[in-house]
Amino acid sequence: MRKAFSDALVRLARQDPNVLLLTGDHGYALFDDFRKHCAGQYINAGIAEQNMVGMAAGLARTGFRPFVYGLSAFVPVRVLEQIKLDVAHDNLPVVFLGDGAGFVYSHLGTSHQSTEDIACTRAIPQLAVLSPSDRYEMTACMDLAYDMAGPVYMRMGKSDRGDVHSGPIAGLKAGQLLQVRVGRQDLPVLVATGSMVRTALDIAEAHLDASVWSVPSVKPLDEDTLCAIARSGRGLVVLEEHSTAGGVGAAVAEVLSEKQPSRILRVGVSDRFSAHCGTYDYLLHEHGLDADAVKARIDAFVRTF
Amino acid sequence: MDNDSLSDNRPYHPARLRRTILEMAYAGSTVHIGCAFSIVELLAVLYRHHLRYPGNDPMSAMRDYLVLSKGHGVMAQYACMRELGWLDDERHIRGYFSNGSELKGLSDSRVPGLEVTSGSLGHGFSVGVGIAMGLRRHGTDQKVYALVGDGELNEGPIWEGMLVAAHHNLDNLMLIVDANGFQAMGRTDEIIQLGNLSDKFKSFDFAVREVDGHDEQAIDAAVRALWQEQPGLPKALVARTVKGKGVPFMESRNEWHYTRLSPETYAEALAAIADGSNS
Repeated sequence: MRKAFSDALVRLARQDPNVLLLTGDHGYALFDDFRKHCAGQYINAGIAEQNMVGMAAGLARTGFRPFVYGLSAFVPVRVLEQIKLDVAHDNLPVVFLGDGAGFVYSHLGTSHQSTEDIACTRAIPQLAVLSPSDRYEMTACMDLAYDMAGPVYMRMGKSDRGDVHSGPIAGLKAGQLLQVRVGRQDLPVLVATGSMVRTALDIAEAHLDASVWSVPSVKPLDEDTLCAIARSGRGLVVLEEHSTAGGVGAAVAEVLSEKQPSRILRVGVSDRFSAHCGTYDYLLHEHGLDADAVKARIDAFVRTF
Repeated sequence: MDNDSLSDNRPYHPARLRRTILEMAYAGSTVHIGCAFSIVELLAVLYRHHLRYPGNDPMSAMRDYLVLSKGHGVMAQYACMRELGWLDDERHIRGYFSNGSELKGLSDSRVPGLEVTSGSLGHGFSVGVGIAMGLRRHGTDQKVYALVGDGELNEGPIWEGMLVAAHHNLDNLMLIVDANGFQAMGRTDEIIQLGNLSDKFKSFDFAVREVDGHDEQAIDAAVRALWQEQPGLPKALVARTVKGKGVPFMESRNEWHYTRLSPETYAEALAAIADGSNS
């Protein structure tokens, strides 16, 4: 997934010399290829994220296509106001790449964990929010982010959970939902984003023969398809490595409560910080997002119908 | 009172700019008059002698950029845009702050002629650094002027941006400080001491000049000198100004950050400007 990211970035930068990569002194090794092939388009803006985003706005104003990279705890959360005012307000073509979203930095604690970035960015007008789940979605999201030519936040979470798609995704559209598994219609449909798509698929394949959809485009969101998904099963379970407040589950609930009233179970991070440190799997367990805990919650949800 | 009552009708006459500011502030019953008055001469010199707008087009890709980071002074920039013929007297000046109007109380970059959305402080300078970097990459000789308030220097991103501007040798960028000695709640030195700004900027590897921010000839000379000297270094002009300058009862009176004009104070202020301009 990280190779897909780097490959897409290098390809876009080689196609368009106006593409610039700005990093807040993050991305060690990740940008080796970029620096080798596109050295003149690489700007390390230093450990100064607020200034970096303002600069990206200035560069966009003079015709460049900045891709601004940081850890998602910092880009977008630390620089939310710069994104809102300097970039989104004027619909400037700047792509924000927030890496390590969710609990990737499981040992480092709250400063590097990021489970509120979708909620923060989703409320900013004109800012699209993308959240790829595997290397194929990553490539498709990078192309989409470039083609949208406006402000985009792309969330990059746990990257080594394996593929969910069987091959490249052609022409991903803004808002598009992707079905990754067809299951029984008398069960809830599992709707997930990022790392949790793999979890949903694992549960559907081993435990519960449900349909699974991936949400690579959190905003915009194809509301008609979402309503059709809600009609295609008995309720929905939305899974995300993000707070249930303002995340994808909230976005789905907002749409369906008005357009297609449905039973919805939101599986994500409750309103709390991580209490302890440990492996990524340990933290998923602490937050009730490991496969066993999620299975139990879905089973309980099914029993309520 | 009309323009003819002024002794000097040259473009960007400071008294006329101040009168436009008063007209807008009175029409819209707005605040921030003092913030606009302190930068009138600075903007007058920049618009008259330095800023280039090919074809008088505020959106020309070849223009110089005036980034008003201290968005609270935006009425002074509107006054200059009026001189350029970019604003409509009825709609923009007399209709300032009317419902549905385009010109806001702080700089909004969707207005042609304004380059940034500011007023949340500490944003504009960084955008200016990015513009300067973009122009440098294009290889043009366009210039970027970023005007910040001294109170605004409390904001961290400005210092981040100075480090970056110096590192990248952005000598097409000029930071201009409106050093009027006040910020929202009082005197800058009583709130967060700024110390010796020129020394600070020099230590950040900027070419620095300090000037009386109401002396147009001195401002012009300092701007010209900065562009000439110390190639490779970004520029900083520390302009010593008076908040509320031009109307004696507003000068260094911080309440004119917040106070709205009454019919009486409006008339008094207009008279003070006319007197000042003819004396």
